[in-house]
Amino acid sequence: MLLPHIPEAAVWAIYAAPLISFLVIVVALRTRPLLAGRFTIGAIGVAWLLAMWALDTSIGLGGEPAAFHPHHWLTLFKLDVEFGLRLDGLSAVMIAVVTSISLLVQIYSTGYMAGDGGYARFFAFMSLFTMSMLGLVMASSLLQLFIHWELVGLTSYLLIGFWFHRPSAAAAAKKAFIVTRFGDFGFMLAVVLIWVKTGTFDIAEINHLAHAGEIAVPVLTGFVLGLFAGAAGKSAQFPLHFWLPDAMEGPTPVSSIVHSATMVAAGVYLLLRFFGAVEAAPEGVRTTIAFVGAFTAIFAASMGIVATDIKRVLAYSTISQLGYMVMAIGLGGYVAAIFHLFTHAFFKSLLFQGAGSLSHATNTFEMPLMGGLRKAMPITYWTFLIGSLSLSGVFPLAGFWSKDEILADAWNHNILLWLIGTAVAFMTALYMFRAIFLTFFGDYKGGAEPEHGSHGGHASHPHESPASMVAPLLILTVGAIFFGFFNVGGMFGHFVEGALAPELRHFEFEVNPVVLVVSTVAALAGIGVAAAIYYAQRPQSSVIRGALGPIPGVVEHLYYVNEIAEDGVVRGLLLGVGKLAAAFDKYVVDGIVNGIGQATRLVGSGLRLTITGQQQAYSSLYVLGVVVAVGALFVLGGGILERLAP
Amino acid sequence: MLTLFLLLPVTGAVLSLFLPEEKQHDAKWIALVFSGAAFAVSVVVFALFNASVPGYQFVNTFEWIAASDAGFRIRYTVGVDGLSAPLVLLLGLLSVVSVLVSWRIEVKAKQYFAWLLFMETAVAGVFLSLDLIQFFLFWELELLPMFMLISQWGSGRRLYSATKFLIYTLAGSAFMLVGFLVLGATAGTFDIAELTAKPVTQAVVPLTFVFWAIMLAFLVKLPTFPVHTWLPDAHTDAPTAVSVMLAGVLLKMGGYGIIRIALPLLPQQAHDSRLILASLAGFSVLWGAVITLRQTDLKRLVAYSSVSHMGYVLLGVSAMGSLGLSGAAMQMFTHGTITGLLFVVVGLIYDRTHTREISQMSGLMHRMPVVGTVFVIAGLASLGLPGMSGFVAEMTTFLGSLDAHPVATAAGIFGVVLSAGYILWTVQRVLHGPATDRWKELTDATSWWEVTAMASLVFVILAVGIYPALLTTAVQAGIAPIAQIMEGVS
Repeated sequence: MLLPHIPEAAVWAIYAAPLISFLVIVVALRTRPLLAGRFTIGAIGVAWLLAMWALDTSIGLGGEPAAFHPHHWLTLFKLDVEFGLRLDGLSAVMIAVVTSISLLVQIYSTGYMAGDGGYARFFAFMSLFTMSMLGLVMASSLLQLFIHWELVGLTSYLLIGFWFHRPSAAAAAKKAFIVTRFGDFGFMLAVVLIWVKTGTFDIAEINHLAHAGEIAVPVLTGFVLGLFAGAAGKSAQFPLHFWLPDAMEGPTPVSSIVHSATMVAAGVYLLLRFFGAVEAAPEGVRTTIAFVGAFTAIFAASMGIVATDIKRVLAYSTISQLGYMVMAIGLGGYVAAIFHLFTHAFFKSLLFQGAGSLSHATNTFEMPLMGGLRKAMPITYWTFLIGSLSLSGVFPLAGFWSKDEILADAWNHNILLWLIGTAVAFMTALYMFRAIFLTFFGDYKGGAEPEHGSHGGHASHPHESPASMVAPLLILTVGAIFFGFFNVGGMFGHFVEGALAPELRHFEFEVNPVVLVVSTVAALAGIGVAAAIYYAQRPQSSVIRGALGPIPGVVEHLYYVNEIAEDGVVRGLLLGVGKLAAAFDKYVVDGIVNGIGQATRLVGSGLRLTITGQQQAYSSLYVLGVVVAVGALFVLGGGILERLAP
Repeated sequence: MLTLFLLLPVTGAVLSLFLPEEKQHDAKWIALVFSGAAFAVSVVVFALFNASVPGYQFVNTFEWIAASDAGFRIRYTVGVDGLSAPLVLLLGLLSVVSVLVSWRIEVKAKQYFAWLLFMETAVAGVFLSLDLIQFFLFWELELLPMFMLISQWGSGRRLYSATKFLIYTLAGSAFMLVGFLVLGATAGTFDIAELTAKPVTQAVVPLTFVFWAIMLAFLVKLPTFPVHTWLPDAHTDAPTAVSVMLAGVLLKMGGYGIIRIALPLLPQQAHDSRLILASLAGFSVLWGAVITLRQTDLKRLVAYSSVSHMGYVLLGVSAMGSLGLSGAAMQMFTHGTITGLLFVVVGLIYDRTHTREISQMSGLMHRMPVVGTVFVIAGLASLGLPGMSGFVAEMTTFLGSLDAHPVATAAGIFGVVLSAGYILWTVQRVLHGPATDRWKELTDATSWWEVTAMASLVFVILAVGIYPALLTTAVQAGIAPIAQIMEGVS
């Protein structure tokens, strides 16, 4: 609105800037880490400026897609894969979020990663991640989206395993990639299926065909469920959720962008991008999506209450909040899901950076080793507190508005889901304030010794983090406080609805007093319970534990999902089948072959005398053999042929 | 031009045999010059190949055995189309790479390089021959260098593995010859183009039998379940360069034979067998993948992954449509570069650690960052990461095969999931983890021959992955006439 319409090249430049940063670091800046960091910040700064221009243009268009033409990438017979840009209300918001958070995280990283041996490699991977994520959200074609989806998975793998000398990090990286790949099995099937049935990868076209009823119901059902499988892997929905807590092995800036604000939201984005198809799918499909989301939300929240590692608390919180968004999509709450994705990105990135700031001071993420840090780290404390209040949905912070949007949708469509959602709101406030009381209140427990070889640890004497880390915290806090107001009155909602077909736009801003009051009470109750147990210690947590019997133990074992997946599915099933198959190859197939070989050997023993070990002898015998063979063929072949020839 | 490509390596082979004993280490230079020249020719052929002209190009031909009174003749005819041109390029490239990775061969070096070059000529003959008998002769010609290289310069149970390879292939090709003779006798020609234009519809033996006789040889070579067990043994005991050639180009002879000969010459019989072929393909993909998961020997692991990945070639073929066949043709090329690179890297590791047992390795990334990085790149390409060539080929195959064979295609896609499992697990065990004292003496691969071998393949993998038109233009031209025949059958 303020600026002229953004040209297509400038939108491509948003994507290209981090790519250039990656290439420049790989080619020229490997041995000049500080320059690598600055170059990344510069490149992503440019991308951010252009992203703001794109957002401005999109607002000017009311969220309707800008007219860019796709380009041929691969043409082969009837296959014509086109790559293009989709700039509309939905992708403009995502581009703005990705570039904003990425820019702040890069700045934060210059402090957090200072002195790390892999500093340049870190910024190279971060640039590659930013590029992939931008490519994912800007894609106009399903295959283009899928390609970047996989690249995002790759960079997530590289970044989780950044400190690959740690066996736990290497294992977590592998786990993240493989578990999400199981979801991608469905996604790939969906991609192939929809092309085979419709002959197009164009996202808008597929949505249109689905909505117009031109895709057969079984095909559409398979397509949407396949997309959902992919989304469940990426966005850590049950039962593919268990890779995300382990992904916290990555450096904290990575957790702050990849595993909270952006990449894990890609699954939600995928479903939003295909909202037309999701809406056209049978009721049962959407109900399934809603219930998987709701179950994930409450299931993950329960694990957040018992985790002792602050990053894992935040990881479970992320899974839980993503569950909210998925539930919203299943309920048809397009605007609610995007809006929560949007606000969540800011306060969750903030909380992760706060956790990183805490560990910068204490060398640990274990909350029982912290305590009393409120005074030594005032900025970290206040920003973390505001982030927690926002996440808990306390009026009038950002999370309040977006979470209420989802709960209001649930109230209107399915009262059971509303009850689950409200319970999750209580649990969210409980685990976040448990974390706050354990880390910032009480007495300092001494932290941990710095780990040799990782980022430049200090002896454990709590102190506030450097400006490069504190400044991003403060900026993100602004978002955590105010960004909820964007949708008061429905401005945000109408903007993102511009991305949908006109028939699907039915957002109206409403305030549901019952939902509002109940969820606020739930959140305050959660804070109150946390204060009673972890601050006043009345009752003490051990008493509650005793009263609950075996339940806390089961939750602390994460419901044995890891054991089922790793020992059951991988070791038991896959490796077991592999063992059987290998045995079959060895004893049955080779048994037959060797049997034939034994028989041949009897004949061959007569010919052994010719094996002299001399190369020359072999060679001349060989030439002779060829001559004889050709001759025999000619004579014999000729004989046969004469008889057979017509 | 193509005759030049065919003769350059064998000329080098003969020259290197004439080297005096005390200068036999110069054989590698002869090998490099001649394989390099052949590679240059293959690049020129690929660059000058005109995809808009139908039929074979760069054809050289002369009458070889004329027995027209008997109603047939055998000619020497070479030519390329869009199907063979990429494979000729692949052969040229991988031959240079395999000479480079053999740079430190000391034992009987001149014979070693002579056999290696001789093998290049033999394989080139298979890809270039436009006559069935000529094709068969080159097909057989390739066996001896393989046998000699594995049994003389291999390791472990090398004689067993070499013999197994020989018996398997000979058993297959005996049937192939019978099939060729029946076809040639019936049609009165061995010319592939003529046989393609006028497929044989009736012969003294049922054509279904002829089809399977020919297919058997190709399926052994591919290899596909249940005639695949020669491959892991041959790879495990072969020297690095031979593994590169074996995985890179020799397996492609099987896929090439199916698309060039079995399908267009016997379209009806191929069409009737498509369900069996698809089942074999899907099964091979999964069978290879689950066995790969539990391998403990690095080379054996890559070998079994080849069984899985070559299953995609058969899957694409079994769809018998333009996209599936294109996917198969592309998969042959990309698998050649990717698995070739994996064997190069595994060989470099083996040269240094003197073990292939995965459990013995850990944290090699700390000592060998270059080799480790290339290993990761090759692994990612192998698991079908977009941006690399394997993805384009696999995706095209699936797009082409889902409609015809949904179950086999789903199995193929699940194979992609499993490939992530075995690749990343291997990376974790071999490269990741803390640096250990045991491997602190290891040196990275930084000499020019090692770096050139790795860099050239990485370049091709990325180039095709990012800009697939480099490959698809030729492939489309080569596949179009064959797809037209197959799509005309019902």
